[in-house]
Amino acid sequence: MFFRRAGISFTRYQDERQLWRLPFDRWTVGIIFALLLAAPFLIDRLYVVGYLLPLVIWAMAAMGLNLLMGGAGQIHLGYGAVIGIGAYASVHAMRAGVPFEFAMLIGGFAAAMIGVVFGAAALRVKGLYLAMATLAMQYIVDFVIVQFPIISGGSQAALTVPRTTFLGFAIEGDRVPYYVALTLCAVLTLFMLNVKRTSFGRALAAVREKDYAASIIGVDPFRYKLLAFWVSSFIGGMTGAVLAVCYYRTISPDQFHLDLSIQLVAMVIVGGLGSVLGGFLGVALILFAPIVLNQLIGLAADQFGLAIPIDLRAHLPLMLYGGLIMGFLLMEPLGLAKVYGNIRNYFLVWPFRHARQ
Amino acid sequence: MSLTRRNMLTGAAIAALAANLPLRVAFAQGAKTIRFALPMDYTKVYTFVTSEYAQGQQDYISLINGRGGIGGYTIVTDVSDHANDQPRAIEAYERAKAQGAVLIDPLSTPVARALTPRALEDKINMVTAFSGRSDAADGTVFPYVLPLSPNYWTQTGLIIDFFKQQDGGSLKDKTICFVHIDTPFGKEPLPILEKLAEKEGFKLQAFPYTPPGNDQSAIWPQVRRARPDWVMFWGAGVGQTVALTEAIRNGLDMTRVSGSVWVSESDMDVVGRDQAKGVLKVEPCASGRDPKLIQEILKEVVAAGKGAGPEAKVGTAYYNYGVMLTAIMLEGVRRAVEIAPDGPVTGPWLNAGLTSITNYTAEGLIPPVTVTPEDHQGGGMGRIARWNGSAFEPQTDWFSANQDLVWEEIRKYSAEFAKTGK
Repeated sequence: MFFRRAGISFTRYQDERQLWRLPFDRWTVGIIFALLLAAPFLIDRLYVVGYLLPLVIWAMAAMGLNLLMGGAGQIHLGYGAVIGIGAYASVHAMRAGVPFEFAMLIGGFAAAMIGVVFGAAALRVKGLYLAMATLAMQYIVDFVIVQFPIISGGSQAALTVPRTTFLGFAIEGDRVPYYVALTLCAVLTLFMLNVKRTSFGRALAAVREKDYAASIIGVDPFRYKLLAFWVSSFIGGMTGAVLAVCYYRTISPDQFHLDLSIQLVAMVIVGGLGSVLGGFLGVALILFAPIVLNQLIGLAADQFGLAIPIDLRAHLPLMLYGGLIMGFLLMEPLGLAKVYGNIRNYFLVWPFRHARQ
Repeated sequence: MSLTRRNMLTGAAIAALAANLPLRVAFAQGAKTIRFALPMDYTKVYTFVTSEYAQGQQDYISLINGRGGIGGYTIVTDVSDHANDQPRAIEAYERAKAQGAVLIDPLSTPVARALTPRALEDKINMVTAFSGRSDAADGTVFPYVLPLSPNYWTQTGLIIDFFKQQDGGSLKDKTICFVHIDTPFGKEPLPILEKLAEKEGFKLQAFPYTPPGNDQSAIWPQVRRARPDWVMFWGAGVGQTVALTEAIRNGLDMTRVSGSVWVSESDMDVVGRDQAKGVLKVEPCASGRDPKLIQEILKEVVAAGKGAGPEAKVGTAYYNYGVMLTAIMLEGVRRAVEIAPDGPVTGPWLNAGLTSITNYTAEGLIPPVTVTPEDHQGGGMGRIARWNGSAFEPQTDWFSANQDLVWEEIRKYSAEFAKTGK
């Protein structure tokens, strides 16, 4: 009823090749994008600056990591460091007078160069061993940033991001940073949606499923594993630049520690490996559930006069948060994107019960 | 999960209910309230430090609000957990801004550093006691960042001066070991120490340990081998107790070991109250329950059952830090009310009060604190105290030392910030 779909839908190849084949999906995406565009004028600035902006930026990072983890099946526990390299490289470039547009590319290339070196470990080791190799990357990068004052910015270890512009718009205030991040995120989302349908994306999938099977059918695992690390690190580096310029405005080493890497891995897994939509949903859950739970507990404590000690009040949301993640993964191990998929499938044939599959 | 009609309906019902819950906590904003935002890290790194500090803050605010507030204004606080996580801290900051908070106290170095540009831009007073940028003491560059407490450079200066006093006025050819966590925070005292080593003629040896510092067993035998005359250990949270345990295990003379302000009774419980006897620390305020303000809190807040936490923690080191900082903040409010009784309550309004505090001693709890638009550190006074097995005993009177060197360093970094930060 909602999707207006009955029997074979397509009579032309173009129709079947579209990103979103059903008009309903196209409308949904269109409306959500329009709402995101209009958000700064519709809702309180707090929600734009405190929620939507980090959502958009973290979603970029999650998509970059998802290309590697969901697309090529290579685990990466040092993605926070990749983002850090991008952030530091681009901020230093901007401080030297390079415009943001190029500094972002410099950040991307720097992260890709270093990321691919550690990614080379993936040629030799797999699974948990690769996790250890990328974990080493995280620690080495952290160490290097902290040990060299010329990188970290002296004994205060806080590097202020200079004011800059993007395509002529000065990145300051509440709205411009959001639109810059949203634009880049939209471009990246389109790239990620399309990459699966390219020969590159299919080669990655082949490597993910079994690398020696891939080499039997003529896909060179050596080349594609390195390429996957290269592309994913490049995206991570660019995200680092956006993160520094649009959101943090001061960067310090602790922003890119293991916590960030684990957080991103959690986002990708909870959202759904290999799913673009999952990236967004995972980010929303992992990033905002603690904040929202904290406020709900605070609200409950204030409204109902519950005398919860401050300590418990701070820890209770954490327990609920843990329960929430476990609950979602127990309910649907394939992630939030699959939960959405189930709901969509249900409505695809509603009011009938069974999809024709 | 398979999707059945029942699941679908339950899900929809839950979603509809959840959508009705307001995301933002709306407080009744009366005309006569002053809002302080206190997002801190209760759950990640600082843990019990934050709980004890926040308990002191809440109890002191309850005391003052219970007496009718300041000049008719009551203090409203917004407590939340940012877990040292910057997106959460930024969200908390933006929420505080939206709700009209005039002061924010994040009690976290990384968070304070990250929020600095925002606070300066939005003119919201950010208190960075024992955290944040040390160079924020320079009020001309950081008008809205207020450490209001002796920074780490000052603490280093105080400790070295105390060592010098103890050794008969000279540290020539002595060896001082500096054991520190290998983070920007741990490395912060190094430039001052190097300058002091040059000036006083002692030999400085630095021993970094990897964060978070729960294994320092490789470092301390090296410290013992260096045969130090004095040892300073610099860390936070778990690293502190591990450092003390290792120092004891390696047979160092505990009466010649000193920490920063981050040593407390709670650490001593972990290390062993008797074993740690003799350890030195910097006291920015009196500890124990003797100070008049703590007595008043015990009588009017805790005895009335309005205490914010366990009674046993009242009067411990970090609890008193909380009382100290809140007392200074509220003295700032009192001064602001004096200057402009009718407000309006804004960041600049409170800032004018905070930067005109003169010789405030919180009825004997703290050394005389004077904050000016130029000096946000408050004078940089403190004292050295020694753990005697059950309490910290002051070894000196309130004093300040080596402030010329400290300010040289502060100005050097703040000038750099002024040059590149805008």
